[in-house]
Amino acid sequence: MSSTWMTTRAWLLMLPLLIIMTAVIGWPMIDTVRLSFTDAKLVGTGGAFVGFDNYVKMLSSSNFQRALFATTWFAVISVTAEMVIGVLAALLLSQQFYGRAVLRALLILPWALPTVVNATLWRLIYNPEYGALNSALTQIGLLDSYRSWLGEPGTAMTALIVADCWKNFPLVALIALAALQAVPRDITAASLVDGAGPFARFRFVILPYLAGPLMVALVLRTIEAFKVFDIIWVMTRGGPANSTRTLSILVYQEAFSFQRAGSGASLALVVTLIVTVLAVGYGMLVRRTAGSAT
Amino acid sequence: MSTLTIDAIRKSYGPVETLKGIDIALQSGEFLVLLGASGCGKSTLLNIIAGLGEPTSGDVRIDERSIIGVHPKDRDIAMVFQSYALYPNLTVHRNIGFGLEMRKVEKAERDRAVLETARLLQIENLLDRKPAQLSGGQRQRVAIGRALVRNPKVFLFDEPLSNLDAKLRLEMRTELKRLHQLTKTTVVYVTHDQIEAMTLATRIAVMRNGRIEQLDTPENIYNRPATLYVATFVGALPMNLLAGTMGDSGVTIDGTTATVAVAGLEAIAPGRRVTLGIRPEAIGKSREPLFRDARCEVAELTGPELVVTARIGDQRVVAAMPADAGIKAGDEITINADATAFHVFDAETEQRLN
Repeated sequence: MSSTWMTTRAWLLMLPLLIIMTAVIGWPMIDTVRLSFTDAKLVGTGGAFVGFDNYVKMLSSSNFQRALFATTWFAVISVTAEMVIGVLAALLLSQQFYGRAVLRALLILPWALPTVVNATLWRLIYNPEYGALNSALTQIGLLDSYRSWLGEPGTAMTALIVADCWKNFPLVALIALAALQAVPRDITAASLVDGAGPFARFRFVILPYLAGPLMVALVLRTIEAFKVFDIIWVMTRGGPANSTRTLSILVYQEAFSFQRAGSGASLALVVTLIVTVLAVGYGMLVRRTAGSAT
Repeated sequence: MSTLTIDAIRKSYGPVETLKGIDIALQSGEFLVLLGASGCGKSTLLNIIAGLGEPTSGDVRIDERSIIGVHPKDRDIAMVFQSYALYPNLTVHRNIGFGLEMRKVEKAERDRAVLETARLLQIENLLDRKPAQLSGGQRQRVAIGRALVRNPKVFLFDEPLSNLDAKLRLEMRTELKRLHQLTKTTVVYVTHDQIEAMTLATRIAVMRNGRIEQLDTPENIYNRPATLYVATFVGALPMNLLAGTMGDSGVTIDGTTATVAVAGLEAIAPGRRVTLGIRPEAIGKSREPLFRDARCEVAELTGPELVVTARIGDQRVVAAMPADAGIKAGDEITINADATAFHVFDAETEQRLN
C-alpha cells in the first residue's frame, strides 16, 4: 500500500473529527478574535471596529491586574499544597497497615464529587452561623466568636484554596501512588543497605521515579487552577470586595454581567494565551523529565 | 575478614514456613554459595542476613556479634542485586560513593576510594555517566563497585549475573573470583546456576524447600552428593538414575540382568529398593562394561565431547564420550560403568547409602 494512500486515508478518517472541532472550537475562537477588536455588546447590533482599544484598556485596568494576581496566587498556592499533600498521602498509603485498601478507596471520594457539590459542602462548613469550622474552632478554644470565612476579604481566598485542595489533592495522590508502585524494590533495599535515611531515600530513590508522573499532574493542575471558575462562582462569586475575583470570573462578569462582549472576548483571549504559554512550557518540562528514571 | 554464623534460622509467612532451621558457620574469607531452585528460600535467607527481612526465630552473627534487629546500614554488609539497583539520576561516581556519602565520609577521601574501586573494576572512564547510558555488564560492575568501595565485613550477592548474556556472565564470573581472591572478604552468594556455584564457591549450600540438603565443598557436592536431589541438581549433564534392588552380590538394575557391586553397601539388607546414579562423564571414563547391547538413539557433538543417549531395556542412559568416539545414531554400543563411579540412594528416603 502506497504511503500517499495511507496519508490520504488517515486524513479521511480524521475528517469528521476535524469538521466537529472546527465547528465547536475553531469557529467560536475565530469569532472571539473578531469580537475582541470591536465594541460589541451582548445584545443589540454588532459592534464597530475599535482596533486594540479593548486590549489596551483591559491590560491597563486595575481590575485585570488584581484578577491576574488573584489567579496566580490561587494557582500557585493551591497547586503547591495539592502536590505536597498528594505526595505525602501517597507515601503514607504505600506503607503496609491495616485498613489500607479502604483508605485508598476513600481517597478518591473528594475528587469524584462534582465541583458544585464540593463547593456547596465547603460553604456549609464555612457558614458563619452554623458552620462546622466555626463550631470546631470555638469548641477547642482557637476562636472566640464565629467568623464569616467567606465574607471577609482576608480569609475568603484561603478558604477557597482549602476547598480546592481538598477536592484535588486526591488526583495528585493517585498519580503519585501509581508512580510509587514503579519504584524497584531492589533500589529501596540498596539504599537501606547504603545507609540512606528517609529524606535521602526520598530524594535519590523515590523522587526520580515520581518526577515524570508528578510533572504531568503539575501541568494538569496548574492549567485547571488558572482557569478556575466553578468553585469560586458557587462559593463567593468573586467577592467579598472582589478579593476572589480570578480571570475567569472577570471574563464572565465583563461578557455576561456587564454584557460587554468585545472587551470580554479580548480578556478571554488573554487568558487563553496565558494558559497556552503555560501548557507549552510545561510540555517541554515533561518531555525533559520523562525518562530521567529509566 | 569476618566470620558469619547463621544459627537455627526459621522464617514463616503466616502458616507457610519458608526457612525450616538453617545452620551455617562461615570462616573468614569463605565464599558460600546458596544454590537452589526458585522458591527454595535462598533469597529469603540472604535478605535476613542483609536485614531486609527479620527471621521468625534464630540468630545471625558477624564476628560473633548478633545482628538481628540491627538496621541494614549498621550491619557492615554490602549487597549486589540481580537488577543492579543503581540510583537512576546519579552518576556512576556518585552511585559508587553513595554509601560513603550517606556515612558522611569526607569528599576527598570518598573520591579517592571511588577512583580506586573504579580502577580495580576498569570503569574509571565511565564515572561521569548515568546508569541509563551503561550496558548491562557495565551496570553490574558499578553495582559491584558500590559494594566494594565500603570495604564491608560481608558481601552479599543476589543472583548478580542472571541478567547478563552468556558471554558476559562468564567474564563477570571470572572477575568476581579474581576480586574475591584479592579482597578475601567473606561472601554469601545466591544463585540457581550450578556452574556459577561450582566455579565460585569455597562451600556450597544446596537448598530445597527451606532446608539445606547438603553443605559442603564443590568437589564433595559433585563427587559425593548426600541426597538424590543434590545429585540431580548439580552437574551440567543430569546424572543418570537407574532403579534397582539390593541383592546379595550388589544392586540389580530393573529390567536387566546387570548387577553392580558397589562398595560400602554391606550393611544394606537385600531386597531394599534403591536408585543408582552415574554421571554421564563417569561413563565416558569407565572401563568396566555394564551393558553390551545398548542402542544409541541420539549422538550430539558438543565440541569437546560426544553426548550419546542410549536405551537399555526400558531405561535411558546419557553418556559423555570422547569427541572422536565415532558413535552414530542406531549403533549398538557398550556402556561402561565402573562400580566406584556409582552413587546409591535409598529409593524411599533419597539419602545416599554408599
